[in-house]
Amino acid sequence: MIRRAQPWLGTLVDITVEGAWPGQDAVTAAFGEIARLHRLMSFHDGASDIARINRAAPDELVQVDADTWQVLRLAREVTALSGGAFDVACAPYLVDRQLLPAPLSPATPAAPAARASAEVFALEDGCRVRKLAPGWIDVGGIAKGYAVDAAVARLESAGVPGGCVNAGGDLRVFGAMRAPVVVRSPASPGRAARHLVLCGEAMATSGSYFSEREHRAHRVSALLDARDGRPLVATASASVRAARCAVADALTKVVLATGDCGHPALALFGATAFLI
Amino acid sequence: MRYVPLALLSACAVTAPVFAAQYLSPEQAQKLMFPEADAFRVQPVALDTAQMRQVEQLAGLPARSAQWRVVGAYKGDALLGYMVLDEVVGKFELISYAVGVNPDASIRQVEILAYRESHGSEIRLPAWRRQFAGKSARGGELKIGAGISNISGATLSCTHVTDGVRRIAAVAQVALAR
Repeated sequence: MIRRAQPWLGTLVDITVEGAWPGQDAVTAAFGEIARLHRLMSFHDGASDIARINRAAPDELVQVDADTWQVLRLAREVTALSGGAFDVACAPYLVDRQLLPAPLSPATPAAPAARASAEVFALEDGCRVRKLAPGWIDVGGIAKGYAVDAAVARLESAGVPGGCVNAGGDLRVFGAMRAPVVVRSPASPGRAARHLVLCGEAMATSGSYFSEREHRAHRVSALLDARDGRPLVATASASVRAARCAVADALTKVVLATGDCGHPALALFGATAFLI
Repeated sequence: MRYVPLALLSACAVTAPVFAAQYLSPEQAQKLMFPEADAFRVQPVALDTAQMRQVEQLAGLPARSAQWRVVGAYKGDALLGYMVLDEVVGKFELISYAVGVNPDASIRQVEILAYRESHGSEIRLPAWRRQFAGKSARGGELKIGAGISNISGATLSCTHVTDGVRRIAAVAQVALAR
Protein backbone atom coordinates (compact mmCIF):
# COMPACT_ATOMS: atom_id res chain seq x y z
CA MET A 1 0.00 0.00 0.00
CA ILE A 2 1.20 3.48 -0.89
CA ARG A 3 -0.16 6.53 0.90
CA ARG A 4 0.95 10.07 0.14
CA ALA A 5 -0.40 13.58 0.68
CA GLN A 6 0.31 16.97 -0.86
CA PRO A 7 -1.14 20.44 -0.25
CA TRP A 8 -3.49 21.38 -3.12
CA LEU A 9 -6.93 22.97 -3.54
CA GLY A 10 -6.53 24.80 -0.24
CA THR A 11 -6.39 21.56 1.72
CA LEU A 12 -4.39 18.35 2.00
CA VAL A 13 -5.03 15.83 -0.75
CA ASP A 14 -4.43 12.25 0.36
CA ILE A 15 -3.98 9.39 -2.13
CA THR A 16 -3.92 5.76 -1.08
CA VAL A 17 -3.34 3.01 -3.63
CA GLU A 18 -2.94 -0.72 -3.45
CA GLY A 19 0.34 -2.06 -4.69
CA ALA A 20 3.97 -1.39 -3.97
CA TRP A 21 6.64 1.14 -4.85
CA PRO A 22 6.30 1.00 -8.69
CA GLY A 23 2.81 2.49 -8.22
CA GLN A 24 4.50 5.71 -7.09
CA ASP A 25 4.71 6.96 -10.66
CA ALA A 26 0.94 6.69 -11.03
CA VAL A 27 0.43 8.53 -7.74
CA THR A 28 2.87 11.24 -8.84
CA ALA A 29 0.93 11.61 -12.12
CA ALA A 30 -2.37 11.84 -10.20
CA PHE A 31 -0.96 14.63 -8.01
CA GLY A 32 0.24 16.33 -11.21
CA GLU A 33 -3.31 16.27 -12.56
CA ILE A 34 -4.66 17.74 -9.30
CA ALA A 35 -1.99 20.47 -9.45
CA ARG A 36 -3.01 21.32 -13.01
CA LEU A 37 -6.69 21.61 -12.05
CA HIS A 38 -5.72 23.69 -8.99
CA ARG A 39 -3.94 26.19 -11.25
CA LEU A 40 -6.87 26.32 -13.69
CA MET A 41 -9.58 26.86 -11.11
CA SER A 42 -7.97 28.81 -8.28
CA PHE A 43 -9.91 31.91 -7.22
CA HIS A 44 -6.70 33.45 -5.84
CA ASP A 45 -4.32 32.89 -8.77
CA GLY A 46 -4.75 35.75 -11.24
CA ALA A 47 -3.68 33.53 -14.15
CA SER A 48 -6.39 30.88 -13.59
CA ASP A 49 -9.39 30.41 -15.89
CA ILE A 50 -11.68 31.42 -13.03
CA ALA A 51 -9.75 34.66 -12.37
CA ARG A 52 -9.87 35.53 -16.08
CA ILE A 53 -13.64 35.01 -16.14
CA ASN A 54 -14.01 37.15 -13.01
CA ARG A 55 -11.96 39.98 -14.53
CA ALA A 56 -13.74 39.88 -17.89
CA ALA A 57 -16.03 42.72 -18.92
CA PRO A 58 -19.64 42.03 -19.95
CA ASP A 59 -19.86 40.49 -23.44
CA GLU A 60 -16.21 39.41 -23.35
CA LEU A 61 -15.52 35.84 -24.51
CA VAL A 62 -13.04 33.86 -22.35
CA GLN A 63 -11.33 30.74 -23.71
CA VAL A 64 -10.96 28.17 -20.92
CA ASP A 65 -9.60 24.66 -20.50
CA ALA A 66 -12.01 21.78 -21.26
CA ASP A 67 -11.94 20.79 -17.57
CA THR A 68 -12.93 24.28 -16.39
CA TRP A 69 -15.77 24.23 -18.92
CA GLN A 70 -16.95 20.82 -17.65
CA VAL A 71 -16.90 22.02 -14.02
CA LEU A 72 -18.96 25.08 -14.96
CA ARG A 73 -21.40 22.95 -16.95
CA LEU A 74 -21.97 20.55 -14.04
CA ALA A 75 -22.26 23.52 -11.66
CA ARG A 76 -24.97 25.05 -13.84
CA GLU A 77 -26.83 21.73 -13.91
CA VAL A 78 -26.79 21.49 -10.10
CA THR A 79 -27.85 25.14 -9.83
CA ALA A 80 -30.83 24.51 -12.10
CA LEU A 81 -31.87 21.32 -10.28
CA SER A 82 -31.53 22.91 -6.84
CA GLY A 83 -33.51 26.06 -7.60
CA GLY A 84 -30.34 28.09 -7.10
CA ALA A 85 -29.42 26.77 -3.62
CA PHE A 86 -26.00 25.90 -5.08
CA ASP A 87 -24.48 28.54 -7.36
CA VAL A 88 -20.84 29.23 -8.20
CA ALA A 89 -21.74 32.91 -8.78
CA CYS A 90 -22.08 33.37 -5.00
CA ALA A 91 -18.49 34.69 -4.68
CA PRO A 92 -19.50 38.35 -4.01
CA TYR A 93 -21.03 37.18 -0.71
CA LEU A 94 -17.79 35.38 0.23
CA VAL A 95 -15.66 38.40 -0.72
CA ASP A 96 -17.94 40.67 1.32
CA ARG A 97 -17.47 38.34 4.32
CA GLN A 98 -13.68 38.41 3.80
CA LEU A 99 -13.59 34.68 3.08
CA LEU A 100 -12.13 35.39 -0.38
CA PRO A 101 -9.97 38.32 -1.61
CA ALA A 102 -11.66 40.81 -3.97
CA PRO A 103 -10.64 40.20 -7.63
CA LEU A 104 -11.01 43.84 -8.67
CA SER A 105 -10.31 44.72 -12.31
CA PRO A 106 -11.01 47.50 -14.80
CA ALA A 107 -14.21 45.63 -15.74
CA THR A 108 -15.30 45.36 -12.10
CA PRO A 109 -13.61 48.27 -10.25
CA ALA A 110 -16.17 47.88 -7.45
CA ALA A 111 -17.59 44.68 -6.00
CA PRO A 112 -20.46 43.45 -8.19
CA ALA A 113 -23.80 42.45 -6.71
CA ALA A 114 -24.37 38.72 -6.35
CA ARG A 115 -26.41 37.50 -9.30
CA ALA A 116 -27.51 34.04 -10.37
CA SER A 117 -24.89 32.43 -12.61
CA ALA A 118 -27.30 32.35 -15.58
CA GLU A 119 -27.11 36.15 -15.48
CA VAL A 120 -23.33 36.26 -15.03
CA PHE A 121 -22.04 33.90 -17.72
CA ALA A 122 -23.11 31.66 -20.60
CA LEU A 123 -21.32 28.52 -21.76
CA GLU A 124 -20.59 28.45 -25.48
CA ASP A 125 -19.20 25.72 -27.71
CA GLY A 126 -15.44 25.37 -28.10
CA CYS A 127 -14.74 25.71 -24.34
CA ARG A 128 -15.67 29.36 -24.31
CA VAL A 129 -17.38 31.30 -21.55
CA ARG A 130 -19.24 34.51 -22.36
CA LYS A 131 -19.45 37.02 -19.54
CA LEU A 132 -22.94 38.51 -19.47
CA ALA A 133 -22.85 40.87 -16.48
CA PRO A 134 -20.37 41.90 -13.77
CA GLY A 135 -20.01 39.04 -11.31
CA TRP A 136 -17.53 36.77 -9.59
CA ILE A 137 -17.57 32.99 -9.59
CA ASP A 138 -15.84 30.59 -7.21
CA VAL A 139 -15.80 26.86 -7.93
CA GLY A 140 -14.58 25.99 -4.41
CA GLY A 141 -17.82 24.07 -3.81
CA ILE A 142 -17.35 21.62 -6.68
CA ALA A 143 -13.76 21.66 -7.98
CA LYS A 144 -12.30 19.55 -5.16
CA GLY A 145 -14.71 16.78 -6.07
CA TYR A 146 -13.93 17.21 -9.77
CA ALA A 147 -10.19 16.99 -9.06
CA VAL A 148 -10.74 13.79 -7.06
CA ASP A 149 -12.56 12.24 -10.05
CA ALA A 150 -9.77 13.33 -12.40
CA ALA A 151 -7.10 11.83 -10.13
CA VAL A 152 -9.06 8.57 -9.92
CA ALA A 153 -9.31 8.45 -13.73
CA ARG A 154 -5.55 8.96 -13.97
CA LEU A 155 -4.84 6.16 -11.47
CA GLU A 156 -7.25 3.77 -13.17
CA SER A 157 -5.77 4.41 -16.61
CA ALA A 158 -2.30 3.68 -15.16
CA GLY A 159 -3.56 0.25 -14.14
CA VAL A 160 -3.68 0.83 -10.38
CA PRO A 161 -5.90 -1.98 -9.02
CA GLY A 162 -7.64 0.11 -6.38
CA GLY A 163 -7.37 3.03 -4.04
CA CYS A 164 -8.85 6.16 -2.52
CA VAL A 165 -8.37 9.87 -3.26
CA ASN A 166 -9.41 12.26 -0.50
CA ALA A 167 -9.31 16.04 -0.96
CA GLY A 168 -9.96 17.37 2.52
CA GLY A 169 -13.05 15.25 3.12
CA ASP A 170 -14.31 14.89 -0.47
CA LEU A 171 -13.25 11.40 -1.42
CA ARG A 172 -13.72 8.58 -3.89
CA VAL A 173 -12.86 4.91 -3.55
CA PHE A 174 -12.15 2.96 -6.74
CA GLY A 175 -11.26 -0.51 -7.98
CA ALA A 176 -10.96 -3.37 -5.57
CA MET A 177 -10.38 -1.26 -2.46
CA ARG A 178 -12.84 -1.29 0.40
CA ALA A 179 -11.99 1.83 2.36
CA PRO A 180 -13.06 2.53 5.94
CA VAL A 181 -14.28 6.12 6.18
CA VAL A 182 -14.92 8.14 9.30
CA VAL A 183 -17.37 11.07 9.20
CA ARG A 184 -16.44 13.81 11.66
CA SER A 185 -18.88 14.84 14.33
CA PRO A 186 -19.80 18.46 13.52
CA ALA A 187 -20.26 19.20 17.21
CA SER A 188 -16.87 17.75 18.07
CA PRO A 189 -14.77 17.48 14.87
CA GLY A 190 -12.03 15.45 16.56
CA ARG A 191 -14.47 12.61 17.03
CA ALA A 192 -16.03 10.14 14.66
CA ALA A 193 -19.80 10.46 14.28
CA ARG A 194 -20.14 7.61 11.82
CA HIS A 195 -18.06 4.76 10.41
CA LEU A 196 -18.69 3.54 6.86
CA VAL A 197 -16.99 1.28 4.37
CA LEU A 198 -16.97 2.59 0.80
CA CYS A 199 -16.31 0.60 -2.33
CA GLY A 200 -16.58 1.99 -5.85
CA GLU A 201 -18.26 5.25 -4.90
CA ALA A 202 -17.64 8.81 -3.79
CA MET A 203 -18.62 10.70 -0.67
CA ALA A 204 -18.37 14.35 0.29
CA THR A 205 -19.24 16.15 3.49
CA SER A 206 -19.85 19.85 4.11
CA GLY A 207 -20.08 21.56 7.45
CA SER A 208 -19.26 25.00 8.75
CA TYR A 209 -17.29 23.96 11.85
CA PHE A 210 -13.82 24.76 10.46
CA SER A 211 -14.69 27.97 8.57
CA GLU A 212 -17.08 29.71 10.96
CA ARG A 213 -16.11 33.15 12.17
CA GLU A 214 -17.52 36.43 13.39
CA HIS A 215 -18.06 39.11 10.73
CA ARG A 216 -19.76 42.45 11.51
CA ALA A 217 -21.34 40.92 14.61
CA HIS A 218 -22.77 37.98 12.63
CA ARG A 219 -21.67 34.36 12.39
CA VAL A 220 -20.51 33.53 8.84
CA SER A 221 -18.81 30.55 7.20
CA ALA A 222 -17.52 29.47 3.81
CA LEU A 223 -20.96 27.91 3.19
CA LEU A 224 -24.10 29.75 2.17
CA ASP A 225 -27.52 29.36 0.60
CA ALA A 226 -26.95 30.94 -2.84
CA ARG A 227 -30.65 31.81 -3.21
CA ASP A 228 -30.34 34.66 -0.70
CA GLY A 229 -26.73 34.58 0.53
CA ARG A 230 -27.76 33.40 3.99
CA PRO A 231 -24.66 32.00 5.74
CA LEU A 232 -24.94 28.36 6.76
CA VAL A 233 -23.71 28.16 10.31
CA ALA A 234 -25.85 25.33 11.64
CA THR A 235 -24.21 22.70 13.77
CA ALA A 236 -25.15 20.02 11.23
CA SER A 237 -23.03 18.58 8.46
CA ALA A 238 -24.33 17.12 5.21
CA SER A 239 -22.80 14.04 3.57
CA VAL A 240 -23.64 12.84 0.08
CA ARG A 241 -22.75 9.51 -1.55
CA ALA A 242 -22.68 9.39 -5.35
CA ALA A 243 -20.80 7.73 -8.19
CA ARG A 244 -18.84 10.91 -8.95
CA CYS A 245 -17.15 13.04 -6.31
CA ALA A 246 -17.88 16.32 -8.17
CA VAL A 247 -21.60 15.55 -7.91
CA ALA A 248 -21.33 14.56 -4.23
CA ASP A 249 -19.32 17.73 -3.48
CA ALA A 250 -21.87 20.10 -5.06
CA LEU A 251 -24.92 18.29 -3.65
CA THR A 252 -23.72 18.60 -0.03
CA LYS A 253 -24.39 22.35 -0.33
CA VAL A 254 -27.89 21.69 -1.66
CA VAL A 255 -28.66 19.36 1.24
CA LEU A 256 -27.18 21.73 3.81
CA ALA A 257 -29.01 24.79 2.41
CA THR A 258 -32.38 23.04 2.10
CA GLY A 259 -32.05 20.68 5.06
CA ASP A 260 -33.64 18.10 2.76
CA CYS A 261 -32.01 14.66 2.54
CA GLY A 262 -34.74 13.69 0.07
CA HIS A 263 -34.14 16.63 -2.28
CA PRO A 264 -35.18 15.65 -5.84
CA ALA A 265 -31.75 16.62 -7.23
CA LEU A 266 -30.22 13.70 -5.31
CA ALA A 267 -32.30 11.04 -7.07
CA LEU A 268 -31.61 12.62 -10.48
CA PHE A 269 -27.89 12.04 -9.90
CA GLY A 270 -28.39 8.64 -8.24
CA ALA A 271 -27.09 10.08 -4.95
CA THR A 272 -28.10 9.63 -1.31
CA ALA A 273 -27.54 11.94 1.64
CA PHE A 274 -27.53 12.09 5.39
CA LEU A 275 -27.29 14.90 7.92
CA ILE A 276 -25.44 14.60 11.21
CA MET B 1 3.87 24.62 33.64
CA ARG B 2 7.18 23.12 32.74
CA TYR B 3 6.57 19.47 33.49
CA VAL B 4 3.37 17.81 32.47
CA PRO B 5 2.32 15.01 34.80
CA LEU B 6 2.34 11.73 32.96
CA ALA B 7 -1.14 10.96 34.25
CA LEU B 8 -2.48 14.04 32.47
CA LEU B 9 -0.79 13.11 29.20
CA SER B 10 -2.16 9.60 29.24
CA ALA B 11 -5.61 10.90 30.15
CA CYS B 12 -5.50 13.10 27.05
CA ALA B 13 -4.47 10.13 24.96
CA VAL B 14 -7.50 8.21 26.12
CA THR B 15 -10.15 10.92 26.06
CA ALA B 16 -9.12 12.92 23.00
CA PRO B 17 -9.33 10.72 19.91
CA VAL B 18 -6.78 11.79 17.37
CA PHE B 19 -6.91 11.59 13.60
CA ALA B 20 -3.45 10.88 12.28
CA ALA B 21 -1.63 9.52 9.28
CA GLN B 22 1.98 8.67 8.60
CA TYR B 23 2.79 9.04 4.92
CA LEU B 24 6.51 8.92 4.20
CA SER B 25 9.76 8.73 6.11
CA PRO B 26 12.30 11.46 5.23
CA GLU B 27 14.33 8.74 3.49
CA GLN B 28 11.37 7.74 1.31
CA ALA B 29 10.59 11.38 0.54
CA GLN B 30 14.14 12.17 -0.61
CA LYS B 31 14.17 9.09 -2.84
CA LEU B 32 10.83 10.15 -4.38
CA MET B 33 12.00 13.71 -4.97
CA PHE B 34 15.42 12.78 -6.36
CA PRO B 35 15.12 9.26 -7.81
CA GLU B 36 18.36 9.69 -9.77
CA ALA B 37 20.45 10.60 -6.69
CA ASP B 38 23.11 8.17 -5.45
CA ALA B 39 23.98 10.06 -2.26
CA PHE B 40 22.16 12.21 0.29
CA ARG B 41 24.17 14.40 2.68
CA VAL B 42 22.80 16.12 5.75
CA GLN B 43 23.86 19.76 5.52
CA PRO B 44 21.96 21.90 8.02
CA VAL B 45 21.57 25.61 7.35
CA ALA B 46 22.03 28.26 10.05
CA LEU B 47 20.79 31.70 9.02
CA ASP B 48 22.47 34.84 10.41
CA THR B 49 20.45 37.90 11.41
CA ALA B 50 20.76 39.60 8.01
CA GLN B 51 19.64 36.42 6.23
CA MET B 52 16.66 36.06 8.59
CA ARG B 53 15.61 39.62 7.69
CA GLN B 54 15.91 38.78 3.99
CA VAL B 55 13.76 35.67 4.47
CA GLU B 56 11.09 37.76 6.18
CA GLN B 57 11.10 40.29 3.36
CA LEU B 58 10.92 37.66 0.63
CA ALA B 59 8.26 35.50 2.29
CA GLY B 60 6.26 38.25 3.98
CA LEU B 61 6.22 36.00 7.04
CA PRO B 62 8.26 35.78 10.25
CA ALA B 63 11.46 33.77 9.58
CA ARG B 64 10.57 31.72 12.68
CA SER B 65 13.82 29.81 12.91
CA ALA B 66 17.51 30.27 12.18
CA GLN B 67 18.17 26.54 12.02
CA TRP B 68 16.91 24.49 9.08
CA ARG B 69 17.17 20.76 8.48
CA VAL B 70 18.46 20.33 4.94
CA VAL B 71 19.57 17.26 3.00
CA GLY B 72 21.58 17.68 -0.22
CA ALA B 73 20.89 15.21 -3.06
CA TYR B 74 23.85 14.25 -5.27
CA LYS B 75 24.66 12.11 -8.27
CA GLY B 76 28.37 11.66 -8.02
CA ASP B 77 29.69 15.15 -7.30
CA ALA B 78 26.81 16.89 -9.07
CA LEU B 79 24.27 18.60 -6.83
CA LEU B 80 20.70 17.70 -7.87
CA GLY B 81 18.93 19.76 -5.23
CA TYR B 82 17.90 19.83 -1.59
CA MET B 83 15.17 18.55 0.65
CA VAL B 84 14.17 20.83 3.54
CA LEU B 85 12.28 19.31 6.50
CA ASP B 86 9.84 21.30 8.61
CA GLU B 87 6.78 21.10 10.85
CA VAL B 88 3.83 23.46 11.14
CA VAL B 89 1.23 23.71 13.87
CA GLY B 90 -2.28 24.87 13.00
CA LYS B 91 -5.30 25.39 15.20
CA PHE B 92 -5.98 21.65 15.28
CA GLU B 93 -3.22 20.03 13.32
CA LEU B 94 0.45 19.25 13.43
CA ILE B 95 1.98 18.56 10.04
CA SER B 96 5.45 17.34 9.25
CA TYR B 97 6.45 17.90 5.63
CA ALA B 98 9.36 17.98 3.21
CA VAL B 99 10.05 20.45 0.43
CA GLY B 100 12.20 19.46 -2.55
CA VAL B 101 14.20 22.41 -3.85
CA ASN B 102 16.12 22.70 -7.14
CA PRO B 103 19.71 24.09 -7.12
CA ASP B 104 18.31 27.45 -8.35
CA ALA B 105 16.03 27.54 -5.25
CA SER B 106 12.80 26.93 -7.18
CA ILE B 107 10.36 24.50 -5.53
CA ARG B 108 10.37 21.03 -7.00
CA GLN B 109 7.88 19.10 -4.88
CA VAL B 110 6.10 19.13 -1.53
CA GLU B 111 5.31 15.91 0.33
CA ILE B 112 3.49 15.57 3.63
CA LEU B 113 5.41 13.17 5.90
CA ALA B 114 2.99 12.93 8.80
CA TYR B 115 -0.27 14.48 9.94
CA ARG B 116 -1.78 14.51 13.35
CA GLU B 117 -4.67 16.50 14.71
CA SER B 118 -5.94 17.32 18.13
CA HIS B 119 -8.93 19.28 19.26
CA GLY B 120 -7.95 19.54 22.90
CA SER B 121 -5.46 21.58 24.89
CA GLU B 122 -2.64 19.11 24.30
CA ILE B 123 -1.74 20.72 20.96
CA ARG B 124 -0.03 23.44 23.00
CA LEU B 125 1.98 20.98 25.07
CA PRO B 126 5.63 20.87 24.03
CA ALA B 127 5.70 17.10 24.54
CA TRP B 128 2.90 16.60 22.04
CA ARG B 129 4.57 18.83 19.50
CA ARG B 130 8.01 17.36 20.09
CA GLN B 131 6.95 13.88 19.10
CA PHE B 132 7.17 14.99 15.48
CA ALA B 133 10.46 16.82 15.42
CA GLY B 134 12.91 15.09 13.13
CA LYS B 135 10.91 11.90 13.29
CA SER B 136 10.94 9.30 10.64
CA ALA B 137 8.35 6.60 10.33
CA ARG B 138 10.60 4.22 12.24
CA GLY B 139 9.42 3.06 15.62
CA GLY B 140 6.46 5.40 15.96
CA GLU B 141 3.10 4.06 16.96
CA LEU B 142 1.94 5.05 13.49
CA LYS B 143 2.47 2.62 10.68
CA ILE B 144 2.61 3.98 7.17
CA GLY B 145 -0.74 3.72 5.48
CA ALA B 146 -1.98 0.78 7.44
CA GLY B 147 -5.23 0.74 9.34
CA ILE B 148 -5.93 4.47 9.10
CA SER B 149 -9.39 5.48 8.01
CA ASN B 150 -10.07 8.25 5.57
CA ILE B 151 -11.84 11.21 7.09
CA SER B 152 -14.84 12.90 5.50
CA GLY B 153 -15.81 16.25 6.92
CA ALA B 154 -15.62 20.00 6.50
CA THR B 155 -12.47 21.07 4.69
CA LEU B 156 -9.58 21.88 6.98
CA SER B 157 -7.47 24.61 5.39
CA CYS B 158 -3.79 23.97 4.67
CA THR B 159 -2.78 27.63 5.05
CA HIS B 160 -0.04 26.76 7.53
CA VAL B 161 1.62 24.38 5.10
CA THR B 162 1.43 26.80 2.16
CA ASP B 163 2.89 29.56 4.37
CA GLY B 164 5.60 27.13 5.47
CA VAL B 165 6.46 26.29 1.85
CA ARG B 166 6.68 30.00 1.03
CA ARG B 167 9.05 30.50 3.96
CA ILE B 168 11.23 27.59 2.82
CA ALA B 169 11.31 28.98 -0.73
CA ALA B 170 12.71 32.21 0.77
CA VAL B 171 15.23 30.33 2.94
CA ALA B 172 16.37 28.43 -0.15
CA GLN B 173 16.79 31.63 -2.13
CA VAL B 174 18.78 33.30 0.66
CA ALA B 175 20.94 30.38 1.78
CA LEU B 176 20.96 27.65 -0.88
CA ALA B 177 20.61 29.21 -4.36
CA ARG B 178 23.49 28.86 -6.76
